[in-house]
Amino acid sequence: MNIKIENVTKRFKFGAVVQDLTFSVKPGQIVGLLGPNGAGKTTTLRMILDILKPDEGSITFQDKYINREIRNKIGYLPEERGLYQKYRVLDVLIYFGRLKGLNNRKSHVESVRLLDSFQMIDQLEEPIGHLSKGMQQKLQFLVSLIHDPDILIMDEPFWGLDPINQDLVKQKILSLRNSGKTVLISTHLLPDAEAMCDYFVLIHHGKVVLKGTLEQIRKNFYQNKIIVETDKNLEALRKIPKIKEFEFDDSRIYLYPDRNTSVKEVMRQIINTTDVSRIEIHKPSLNDIFLQTIKNVTK
Amino acid sequence: MKQFLIITWWEFVRHFRSRSFILATFVSPLIFAAFILIPTIYLESTSTQEIRIIGCVEFDTTGVCLKIRDRFLEAQFGKTIPPTIQLVPIHSDTSQYMKRRFNEVSTLKLELDSLENAYIKVKERRKYIFQQPKTEQREAQLRRTYEQLIQTRESRDLAQLEYWRRDGECDSLWRIEIINNADEMLINLQLEGYLFVDPQKFEKGIVEFHSLFPANFLEIETIQHAVEVVIVEQRLKGEGLRVDKIQEWLEPINFREIQLQGEDKHEFDFLINYLGPFIVVFFLFISIFTSSGFLFSGVLKEKTNRVIEILLSSVNHHQLIAGKIFGLGILGIFQIFIWYSIILFLVGLDVINTSEVGFLNLRNAGLFLLYFILGYLYFASIFVGIGSLFSNEEDAHHLNQFMRVLSIFPIGLAILVLEIPSSILVRILSFIPPLTPTFMILRTPIGNPPTIDYLISVGIMVVSIIFSIFFAGKLFRIGSLLYGKKPSLKEIFGIIFK
Repeated sequence: MNIKIENVTKRFKFGAVVQDLTFSVKPGQIVGLLGPNGAGKTTTLRMILDILKPDEGSITFQDKYINREIRNKIGYLPEERGLYQKYRVLDVLIYFGRLKGLNNRKSHVESVRLLDSFQMIDQLEEPIGHLSKGMQQKLQFLVSLIHDPDILIMDEPFWGLDPINQDLVKQKILSLRNSGKTVLISTHLLPDAEAMCDYFVLIHHGKVVLKGTLEQIRKNFYQNKIIVETDKNLEALRKIPKIKEFEFDDSRIYLYPDRNTSVKEVMRQIINTTDVSRIEIHKPSLNDIFLQTIKNVTK
Repeated sequence: MKQFLIITWWEFVRHFRSRSFILATFVSPLIFAAFILIPTIYLESTSTQEIRIIGCVEFDTTGVCLKIRDRFLEAQFGKTIPPTIQLVPIHSDTSQYMKRRFNEVSTLKLELDSLENAYIKVKERRKYIFQQPKTEQREAQLRRTYEQLIQTRESRDLAQLEYWRRDGECDSLWRIEIINNADEMLINLQLEGYLFVDPQKFEKGIVEFHSLFPANFLEIETIQHAVEVVIVEQRLKGEGLRVDKIQEWLEPINFREIQLQGEDKHEFDFLINYLGPFIVVFFLFISIFTSSGFLFSGVLKEKTNRVIEILLSSVNHHQLIAGKIFGLGILGIFQIFIWYSIILFLVGLDVINTSEVGFLNLRNAGLFLLYFILGYLYFASIFVGIGSLFSNEEDAHHLNQFMRVLSIFPIGLAILVLEIPSSILVRILSFIPPLTPTFMILRTPIGNPPTIDYLISVGIMVVSIIFSIFFAGKLFRIGSLLYGKKPSLKEIFGIIFK
């Protein structure tokens, strides 16, 4: 199911939290909603879930506004988690399944099936408070999946999970994507997002500052960096033309060529200037792009 | 609608199974009953098994103590409950020292009497001499006897002064000894207390009661009454009235208390007409606050652990609030039903007399249920609205405590209803929403309020509930997503009136 967020703005008493936000999430795609703390990610997710109403703009699902039927097709994993500590794992799963429109029997069967597939079948009868923190996180993830949603919205899905469970959750999200589900993830863990997401929306102060696939972003971002390591005098490299910035770090130097400069030409000049022990073209990571973009916007 | 029912069922079941509900339904009423019943049973058992001996001490021999005892016994005669007090005049043994002092005073008295006789004799002899014809001899005899008269009178006056001094001294010492003896009997637990009759004070209507333990000052109305009768008797006698008529006039009065309830008249019973409705109100409030408390802490916990966000992603906030309020309301009604069943069971076993719970008839029970529902909806919506504003249990706990104290306040004012259930003040207070459920539940069996009062109070409650649910909805919608600092009063009003 396609989600379309168009020109959405949300204002609170102290000002606009989300401004003119536009992006869409397609089925079979994982979209990463990225941004620093306070960027407006959670508010955006809440608006998509109809917990908050946008002041301007529209949010549609397959060109329809949210309704009971659509609501039942959404699975949501909030940022901080707890669940009902005194109640049995199975009862809580059944309850949330029923709230999502499953009948009692179906909810019961799905709960058992999910618990089994996530190796939690032995904890079926246990109160949630007796589970380890990691288990509770996993259970919360299962709550969002109990009704086999078409749309999965997750706020910091890997928060609090150990590496093994992180991997388990990642694999599940990827398999959901592969089965044609629409997945929207809000996170600030960029390496995870980079490894999983097909499309990125970077927001800062409620505004989209960057969006696209990783390749598109990298292309648009254009920041080739050449790393050079040598025992010789690094200062000699300063003579190379069309380099906008040099960064020195002991026996290493980072060179940032001008946009229109041929990287190949620059590398040739480096080799001609000095003896190098290592030379490498470094493509920017999402983290680099993220930091640089935020830095540029803040300037 | 389906979601609303699922939330209702979930809230009902999860709280029904909780330990807090079992505590509030079975343990709290048991503790409450124990608080009322244990002292009552103790007093009843001690009063039926133990006879309290009250002494009576008097300084003279006019027999006031005996009269008080007689009047006391007369008042007890014919009563179904046997008297628990025995009134006994106290005659304490005089000590050897006091006996010697009394003997010395008696000797002085004899000496005084002897000197008085001698003085009278001298006076009579002089009178006889004076009546003789006037002669030289008579004059000489008068002069001689005059000296005798002066000497005898001087001796008698001195003896009288000495007698008065020693007698007064002896009397004071004796009084002290009597009181000391009586106090000793109190300390040795031979007496529960004693009446102290001082003739001079008695004339002014003052009689003292001395005792060691505070509890002995309770339930001595029967003795007070006997003392009053004796004092009134003495006064009427002083006015010259006939003794047999006095006895007749002071016969104990049989006072019957009849209460008019609607068109019926009933013998007033403290338990049924006074204490019973109060207990019912108390229990209904336990129920209201058990359910509202669950609601308050439930919302707070769901907000703290962000479950509320999952819920709000599945249902809208109207359904969520309504489901919670209804679920816990049904829990409250179920709790009342459990109590009502227990009462019926105890009535069936004859543990409770049917007449003692006569006010819980079908009409009154229906009205109690109506006001319970109205009161619950009113307080629950306030609790849910305010509970959603906090994200920290500590901050919310203080407010919760304050709200509970504030909400229990109407029970404190219940005495006004019990005193005069149909007074203007009580009627006005009955129409103030937080007080309405309590006051109307209390007035129903006691004051039999007019139909118009029921209609007005229900109307006011319905309007108040609509307003409180509306404001609670606004608070919940914004408050349930507010995290971090607790909102100020200004901000709360800002949310409500935005």
